[in-house]
Amino acid sequence: MSLETPPYVEFATTTAYSFLRGASTPGEMALRALALGHPGIGIADRNTVSGVARALAALRRFEEEMEAEGVTLPPFRLLVGARLVFADDTPEILAYPTTRYGWGRLTRLLTTGNLRTTKGNCELRLGDLLEFLEDMQLIVATPTSDALLRQLAQAAPGKVWLGAAMLRQGRDARRLAALREQAALAGVPLIAINDALYDGPESRPLHDVMTAIREKTTVQAAGRRLTANAERHLKPAAEMARLFAAAPEAIAATADFMGGIVFKLEDLSYTYPHEPVPYGYTPQGWLEELVWSRASDLHPQGIPEKLTRLLTEELGIIGQQGYAAYFLTVHDIVQWAQIQGILCQGRGSAANSAVCFVLGVTAVDPMKHNLLFSRFISTERKEPPDIDVDFEHERREEVMQYIYSRYGRERAGIAATVIHYRSRSAARDVGKALGLSEDVTARLASTVWGSYASEYDRNRCIEAGLDPDNPTIARVNHFTGTILNFPRHLSQHVGGFVLTQDRLDETVPIHNAAMEKRTFIEWDKDDIDTLGLMKVDILALGMLTCIGKAFAMIETHIGRQYQLSSVPGDEEDHRSNPPHVRAVYEMLQKGDSIGVFQVESRAQMNMLPRLRPERFYDLVIQVAIVRPGPIEGDMVHPYLRRRQKIEDVIYPSPAPPHDRDELRGVLGETLGVPLFQEQAMRLAITAANFSDAEANQLRRAMATFRNVGTIGSLHSKMVNGMVARGYEKDFAERCFQQIKGFGSYGFPESHALAFARLVWVSAYIKHHYPEVFAAALLNSQPMGFYAPAQIVRCAQEHGVEVRTIDANHSEWDCTLEPNPKGALALRLGLRQISGFRENWAEQIKAHRPYTNLEDLARRASLPQRALNLLADADALHSIGLDRREGLWEARRTPTGELPLFAAARARELGEEPHAALPAMPLSEEVAADYQTTRLSLKAHPMSFLRPVFAAEGVLRCTDLAKTRNGKRVKVAGVVLVRQRPGKGNAIFVTLEDEGGIANVVIWARLFETYRRPVMAARLMLVEGLIQHSPEGVIHVMAQSIHDRTPELKRLSEVHEAEPQLSRADEFVRPQHPRNVRVLPRSRDFH
Amino acid sequence: MREGAAPPDAAFALIAKQRGAQRIMALSPAALALGLSAGMMLADARALEPDLPAFEHRPAADHALLLRIVESCERYTPMVAPDRDDALVLDLTGCFDSLGMDEDAVRGDLVTWLARRGFRALAACAGTPDAALALARFGKSTLRELPVAALGLGDDAHLALKRAGLRTLGQLADRPRAPLAARFGKAMSIALAHLLEEQDRRITPHRTLPPIWVEQRFAEPMATVKPLLGVIEWLAGQARDVLVARGRGGRRYEVSLFRTDGHVARLAVDSGLPLREPADVVRLFRERIESLADPLDPGFGYDLLRLAVPLHEDVSEGQDRLDEENSGKPDLAPLLDRLQVRFGAECVHRFAPRDEHLPEYADRLVPPASIPQPWPQPEAGEPPLRPLFLFDPPQPVTVLAEVPDGPPRRFGWQGRQHRVVRQEGPERLAYPWWKTVEATGPTRDYYRIEDSDGRRFWLFRHGLYGSEKADPRWYLHGVFA
Repeated sequence: MSLETPPYVEFATTTAYSFLRGASTPGEMALRALALGHPGIGIADRNTVSGVARALAALRRFEEEMEAEGVTLPPFRLLVGARLVFADDTPEILAYPTTRYGWGRLTRLLTTGNLRTTKGNCELRLGDLLEFLEDMQLIVATPTSDALLRQLAQAAPGKVWLGAAMLRQGRDARRLAALREQAALAGVPLIAINDALYDGPESRPLHDVMTAIREKTTVQAAGRRLTANAERHLKPAAEMARLFAAAPEAIAATADFMGGIVFKLEDLSYTYPHEPVPYGYTPQGWLEELVWSRASDLHPQGIPEKLTRLLTEELGIIGQQGYAAYFLTVHDIVQWAQIQGILCQGRGSAANSAVCFVLGVTAVDPMKHNLLFSRFISTERKEPPDIDVDFEHERREEVMQYIYSRYGRERAGIAATVIHYRSRSAARDVGKALGLSEDVTARLASTVWGSYASEYDRNRCIEAGLDPDNPTIARVNHFTGTILNFPRHLSQHVGGFVLTQDRLDETVPIHNAAMEKRTFIEWDKDDIDTLGLMKVDILALGMLTCIGKAFAMIETHIGRQYQLSSVPGDEEDHRSNPPHVRAVYEMLQKGDSIGVFQVESRAQMNMLPRLRPERFYDLVIQVAIVRPGPIEGDMVHPYLRRRQKIEDVIYPSPAPPHDRDELRGVLGETLGVPLFQEQAMRLAITAANFSDAEANQLRRAMATFRNVGTIGSLHSKMVNGMVARGYEKDFAERCFQQIKGFGSYGFPESHALAFARLVWVSAYIKHHYPEVFAAALLNSQPMGFYAPAQIVRCAQEHGVEVRTIDANHSEWDCTLEPNPKGALALRLGLRQISGFRENWAEQIKAHRPYTNLEDLARRASLPQRALNLLADADALHSIGLDRREGLWEARRTPTGELPLFAAARARELGEEPHAALPAMPLSEEVAADYQTTRLSLKAHPMSFLRPVFAAEGVLRCTDLAKTRNGKRVKVAGVVLVRQRPGKGNAIFVTLEDEGGIANVVIWARLFETYRRPVMAARLMLVEGLIQHSPEGVIHVMAQSIHDRTPELKRLSEVHEAEPQLSRADEFVRPQHPRNVRVLPRSRDFH
Repeated sequence: MREGAAPPDAAFALIAKQRGAQRIMALSPAALALGLSAGMMLADARALEPDLPAFEHRPAADHALLLRIVESCERYTPMVAPDRDDALVLDLTGCFDSLGMDEDAVRGDLVTWLARRGFRALAACAGTPDAALALARFGKSTLRELPVAALGLGDDAHLALKRAGLRTLGQLADRPRAPLAARFGKAMSIALAHLLEEQDRRITPHRTLPPIWVEQRFAEPMATVKPLLGVIEWLAGQARDVLVARGRGGRRYEVSLFRTDGHVARLAVDSGLPLREPADVVRLFRERIESLADPLDPGFGYDLLRLAVPLHEDVSEGQDRLDEENSGKPDLAPLLDRLQVRFGAECVHRFAPRDEHLPEYADRLVPPASIPQPWPQPEAGEPPLRPLFLFDPPQPVTVLAEVPDGPPRRFGWQGRQHRVVRQEGPERLAYPWWKTVEATGPTRDYYRIEDSDGRRFWLFRHGLYGSEKADPRWYLHGVFA
């Protein structure tokens, strides 16, 4: 900046957070202004402040990076505000708060506009601005009348500027003169703006594409809706001075405007809510009091010395960082849930602390388990602790409404999630905007796009029939890559709550969510981190519902009481585990884990016999190991080999003089193989000599790996750092690859621990109370991995008697009934009938017993649909009707009668001659069972087809175990699961017949030949070779596949039209195996 | 099979977008044989058959095709009606004598006749339309063999019957009707009676006549073309009375010439504005007849002439001036109609504005009948920013101007120097990057200027000084009036 050039600050900026209107991120804008030598920049998006924290974060990061290089940046101010766009004819106004109070006014103003309308909109009126304009400076940015300008100037004397832009639209000079005159007339100063829509002129094409997307047209057809030129960027002060040579005072006004603002984003000091602290206590004092009294309750004989030490240490850090209120708030929510009987468990870095265990936030006892690190707040991170709490999924809404009611809607809000473009949606939108036809964009969207296009992606593109070198295609690819970084809209986070002591709407604007009774704030979790606000994640977990229901049933029927923390676990030394604990591990070692939390997928089930868990920490590893991170980092096999003692446990060592065993502390628990995110960070610090700040950068890069390019420099830094200390390059590379793997699917130990506890609890219930477990699982649907048929079958294999659905015995839920043997039988509930309603079930329960169908219809006031469903589900046996008779009766039973008439005629239906319907064959009964309830207790469909298959030499699944390795076999069954995990080299299919299941592996090259049978078959015959793994897992390596679905038609007595494809396909459209139907629903019946 | 998009034995699907997903509406026989079924998502079908061709399902076009077939079947009987999307019913009662064929012969003849036109048809004869349709649809030879689905009572009732073990009409026919009616209602009794030929149902023939038509029958066939126009004019006069009464004017007139030997010739004319006057109508028909490639062949003569107005719309009566004189403004519409009838619609255009920044793209040619858009007007109090006359191509000029982006001080054009006394600008227009592969091109800075003689020009600098061009050229792009 030369001496005679007056400084210039741009206050009219539109960033990507004015969705589809700005073509640069707030960070890019701020950094460009810094690079141009401006003393500051104002960020003002359309009726939102959602982008401001991003600008701050980008500036901070840049400052950090520069600091690391030893560069000090000139003073630079980030000024934050919003562009107010009104629903009435008020001009657009750039509003900048001058003080913290003014910021609160602005956010209140925006909140008012947001809450007036639906999600994603803001409806502002002039009256709102007049109400909230204290401590704000305003720039009138679009043409307005003299009267309105004067009204504003009077409402906010000395705080209103008239914006003038020189955008090279032909008549700029005349317009500037007119504005100057208008400003003088109204007595307000003129201020220069450039209405920047992007940081530099090179972004104009991108802005044009965004305009076309926004206007739902193409760039070719958008005409004058596009900007005429590329002038809407940040310009150097000298050029601004030249443009405004006729009105130099307008340039000088930018410095005045900035000078009037003292507010900065960092002023948003955060105060924790103090509800949980009783009068007379400090938060720290109350927390300590609580912790020590709970600890004495847990250990009436005296608190063990180790616990005392841990608690003292943790409380010290909490006090020092001032986080007591945070722990108290989490505790308050958890305690409320526990009083309501809602199961919950915390996880996250702070959740595995002794404090949290003592307060009942988590059930993982840090005393019992030798945890890897001090799982706690890192003092150097200076970030608030992080606790996520899982609640029963059916009852989480209660918890959320409690939080709203306890703290008030103006003090509690759900964080936002910034929905970014995903490559498919981006490619589709960009393709459309560039004028490609619907079918080409559809093909585009089927391939992977964006700037990371590798050779692989090029090939995918060619396969899809598109030429990657075609200029238009290349253009689509280019814009898609850029737009991927851009936010598309705001949505609410799944459950991250921000709580404040003061009004939340004076810190951040609040929006209506799409969901009723929900409101959310417009900052997401990164912004909240940047600004140091407190967030508690209130999440929903199906397994907790299941466990909660199981505990309740055990208490009712067996009289034993359990809590998450009181389910017997293993001893400190697992070799002294009692038999009832060992038995649970033995069950898991066999891969018998249907329904067990986390370890029930096919991949997990195959891993169980190989990993053979025998203590709690093995479950932690089991949870974490079958994940893309460790798999892509190729860490699984080394770990297994070491665990099975095939390979020696060696810790790679640095060269002298470094400590040869420095990695033993980091990797000891995982046999020298890094499996957890925390290990990756610790590895970087220990082995590559990363500073805490650098490790922090690495953690951030891991979290946002897909979006940020900084991982490259960290890559060389880490590998070189390790090699410099004498590690083998190969090992260093492998470590880094794994860190990259974590990027997309990070799984930290702190979460694995909490999950492993639930693995244990659910496995314990499954083994010791299989009938309770099955009932709880069925009553918590949809959850878990398997369909009801597999859950029921598994229960039967565990010796549980399962009873049919019956109108006189079943409730809505599955229930337990004592059986003559003194055990409990599982009675299936009416909820198993597809399309049945809970209130019908309650009506039925209220008037039992019933002697005939008319009686049932009338006293339970059921509509005909309910009767039809009951009959079709074969649930009328206790009133003497089988399925066929039941349906025949149900169709003529009148329903919906007025009670008066109902009382008047005891039995209205006349006698009919006996219908003499033909008897329904068993096979058809089974087919109908599957169609109505997705399971049958009568028989397996395959048992009817066995003669056909036996004649072809097809083995039963149970026979496979007796077949020697490598033998060629045929096996057939209904398809339970089709999966194509990871890179898609193989397809896994699980078949089920009347005796058991068979695991089929189909290599990708075979798939192309047998595509149709693999994808479409509901009944599949596979020929292949038996492969026994040393751990006892049996696979059939497919050689040919046949679709035998038509055989299913034999189940009904007469051939029917071919039913539709059942969607057991995880890779066409993601379809959960639990929703798979062996037989499709009887179409449109219900 | 439509428009020869796929060979007859190819597997392909017809698809439609439903709730954001593409769903298969119909499949070719070859595709059905692959195990695909209608109602599937296209994505699922492609998972099975990645190369399955898919075309848009156009029910309207299918229906139109079906109606064409219906019309052609009027050769057997006037009582022909379409049934759902895929069938037609012929009421042949009393037709066998005149056709000289019996049931089987008519059926065979019809199927062969359709096959020659590329349609595969299944046909059946029965005592009631429902029975015949069911036999044809389900491919059964006796009514008792028909599945219960033939009743057309909906999936709910069909499934209930199947669950009861009742699968054929024969099984139903043998049972007492009362319990069935108690369960499946009156619709079942009626459907059953129709199917079992116990009760007949009348069909509504498809043939609908145009809303406005007039005709003239001739006692003696008219064997020459000459007097035709006179008859048309007379008929148009009759049509006018109907149109006036309804406040309508014709946009399309159609003449059907029925020859004694059964051949029907049709002539149609379209007009850009609603017409009523017989003279205008006849003028268009004259043009039409004169421009026919194949002249009309009256053969043994016409015995019936019909004039129909299939397309007509409201006429807003223009208010004539009070002094009964015409407003004097020549009416373009009759001229445009005549030009179009003579030269073809694609040869007549008018200019319309196009919403583009760059002046050379800011207009386009449109058919004259389309509603003209208003040209953009300058804001109140603003001078016109664009000139009336544009040079194509722009004229190179020599200019003296300040760098980097100062306005022209003087310029030379066609050997004459002009001194600039007033100027306004620049209006900067960037290169339309999407129009070319290179995606970059010079930016233009336009100036409105006035020379010392008061003449006004529109000049632009081609390329930004320094960043785009070292020495940008100047052009004169237009002159203001």
